[in-house]
Amino acid sequence: MASSCSQALGHHVFKRSRILQIHLQKSWPNRSFALNSAADQQLAVSSPEIVIPKKKTWSKEAVLQALASTVKRDPTASDYRFQDDPYLTPKTSSEFKLFSLSQESGRNAAKYFINTYPKYFQKDYAQPHIPCLMPDSLEAQIEEESEAALVERVRMRKVRAAVDLFDQLQQAGTPVSLDVTNQLLDLICLYGDHDPTQENVPEQRIEETEDVQDEPQAKKGRGAKASDLLKASWKENNNAERIFALLSEPNAHSYSAVIRGMVKYGAHSKAFSFYTDLLNSRLKADVHTFNALITAAPEVKEKYNEKWELIVDLLKQMAEQKVKPNLLTLNAVLKALRRCGTVGRSQAFPVISEMKSLSIDPSLASYTHLLAIFYKPGAPVQGQTDVLQEVMNEVSGKSFSPQDPDDALFFITAMRICLDTKDMEQAYRVHELLGVGENWRLLGKDFQQNIYYARFFSLLCMMENIDVMLKWYRDLVPSVYYPSSNVMRDLLQALDTDNRLDLIPLIWKDIKQLGHANRQNLVEELLTLMAREKHNQEVQESFAECALDIKKIYDTGDRGKVLLNWTAGSLNDLISVLLAAHRTRDAWEMLKLFKTHNRVPSEELLNKFLVCVKEAGEVNQAVELVQISAGFCLPGTPKLIQRVLQEFELTEQQRNMLSDLEIQSFNSD
Amino acid sequence: MNKNMATSLVRQTKLLSIVSSQLNSAACFRNIHCSAACLKNRAARIRVGKGDKSVTYEQAYHPHHIGHRKGWLSQHTSNLQGEDGAAERVVEDVFIRRFMYGTFHGCLADEVVIKRRGNLLVICAVMIQKLLPSKFYFLIGYTEELLSHFYKCPVKIEMQTVEEKVVYKYL
Repeated sequence: MASSCSQALGHHVFKRSRILQIHLQKSWPNRSFALNSAADQQLAVSSPEIVIPKKKTWSKEAVLQALASTVKRDPTASDYRFQDDPYLTPKTSSEFKLFSLSQESGRNAAKYFINTYPKYFQKDYAQPHIPCLMPDSLEAQIEEESEAALVERVRMRKVRAAVDLFDQLQQAGTPVSLDVTNQLLDLICLYGDHDPTQENVPEQRIEETEDVQDEPQAKKGRGAKASDLLKASWKENNNAERIFALLSEPNAHSYSAVIRGMVKYGAHSKAFSFYTDLLNSRLKADVHTFNALITAAPEVKEKYNEKWELIVDLLKQMAEQKVKPNLLTLNAVLKALRRCGTVGRSQAFPVISEMKSLSIDPSLASYTHLLAIFYKPGAPVQGQTDVLQEVMNEVSGKSFSPQDPDDALFFITAMRICLDTKDMEQAYRVHELLGVGENWRLLGKDFQQNIYYARFFSLLCMMENIDVMLKWYRDLVPSVYYPSSNVMRDLLQALDTDNRLDLIPLIWKDIKQLGHANRQNLVEELLTLMAREKHNQEVQESFAECALDIKKIYDTGDRGKVLLNWTAGSLNDLISVLLAAHRTRDAWEMLKLFKTHNRVPSEELLNKFLVCVKEAGEVNQAVELVQISAGFCLPGTPKLIQRVLQEFELTEQQRNMLSDLEIQSFNSD
Repeated sequence: MNKNMATSLVRQTKLLSIVSSQLNSAACFRNIHCSAACLKNRAARIRVGKGDKSVTYEQAYHPHHIGHRKGWLSQHTSNLQGEDGAAERVVEDVFIRRFMYGTFHGCLADEVVIKRRGNLLVICAVMIQKLLPSKFYFLIGYTEELLSHFYKCPVKIEMQTVEEKVVYKYL
């Protein structure tokens, strides 16, 4: 008994240990136990030296970024700015603009209150401190006349106040140091002697850069000042020049500030004369000055060769003075080459390769200028499709960050070229580039985005078949892009080309939603396309519904405002569509409209009507038709009368009436 | 014996009069505040009436239904074990509710729900379609900006609109 127990126990223990070993082997496959010596040897042979990798440090947002990468854009949702509610989603591009602008103006109203009553917003709960949520201090703190006050006004970008204070200091005899004067010069030259606009204009919100000297490396936001630049120009003897003249020994920085200001505000030849002054004072110009001068070079010379020689001269001087060029130099040279015609074409690539050898990588702006050099808008393409392809080869798959204000023009330039050269493949590559990394930021403002998508859509309508087109349509409209009426016309053309006219009622619904239902051309084209051919029964039914819907638009609106005017063509088409779907009653009512709007029906229409009426067997209507036709003195009336007399069974009265009409029409001929 | 009692009594009354006069002098003034009686069994309940008063779902169920038939209107973690700041959250919530009631005057269809996720303050509101969408967006931008600057944290509004107030029953 005891032995059997112990045997059973031993067996039990053995089983348990086997199970334990199996579990262990399963959970630690890399460990090898002494039991499995053969497997152990195999493992030792096959596994190489185990290298423990270095510990990876993840950024704080790594988890969020990983989660974000799993979510793609939702084609049914509207822009992130808006609330997710059908009442609050914009359906047309004007609504989009209106809602985003009203949201911005709400923010500005709040900012006004926060800055007017800063004492209620001073309590700081945030750990760490969030500076952008504190009220802005817009008033200068330091009141007495001193250099520190001047520095403060410069930092707060108050141009006029700074200049006034400087003059006061000069009159009082206080010496202002060269550094501070240079900062003042920078400020004046940056803003062209005007105060920067104080209110945050929506859609042109400018992020304040930290330092005035960082102006040329400006982020994209600064490009919004272009509209101001166009109006402002460098005046004679303005404050910058005056203050410069007051300087006893201007250094390179002062010259640089004035030259850059002159170039920015259009005084190009003056900039060059200043530059000669700089050289005469044996000072060295820095890279920003050279960039500005290269930008100004095409303005001061007329011929292409001379422009190029000037640029080469400047570059040589740069090399002599041992000033290293940077990305903006490359972009300035390429931009200047745009104005140099054929010289530009021959010199563009050598410039890029030289810059590459200096380890300056071209940004999207360089590629934009390159494309613009080779593909002039409006000029016929002479077999230069390779350039676009080469550029796309270079940039595909790379993520770019904004380094130059002109980076934002790349996508619309590339899409314009694809549209001109009708190159669908490159267009797809350009669109793909938009999806890589951070490149979506470089698409530009809302209206630039609209231009890009309009061109993309036009190209798709022209080149691709209807299924691909509709796939893109459903993907992009209306979450990203609100098509204009021209693009909708292109879409209708594409439908026509591919014989998918049955989709017209759906497109009509979209047109109504986008707010283009009041465009005469579009609606008339729609009606013509519907009325042109005969389709099968369901399609005709849907067309008839659509036609009745269109009719409602034509009728006077609620407030008596007439949105669209009937033309003979549109009326004809509408009635033909109704007839084709056998809606004789509706068509009959519409016939009356001819009289009220003073339009003449066409003969084919009346013929078609007669056929329909014959099918329905309405004799009275047939006679009325003839009367209408006679009323309009149509040339086809006699034939109509003949047909009615032959095909219908008429009463005596009706016959008499018809013969009268016949005689009348005979007499009038 | 009587004399002693009398003198001590007189002294006591004198003491009292001195004390009371001191109390009523300008130097020390302490008053007692009284509020109206707020009974717990009458809080947040709309009593059954004639049958013409419409109530929303939120109003129809009483506070003991919270967690059973109703959710919470304010969601934050300060009521968990070891977390602090509950009182501050309550004060913030009260302010935010009054602010929303006043800014979107007449447009609120139901109580505002306030959610806190980390640093972010999310204000969820259901509105009646009383204003044009552009006016709604103006007020949304204004509220978000003002409250962000006030509370030094990002504030987002999630809004939903209904055509009219959703009536649950009539009491």
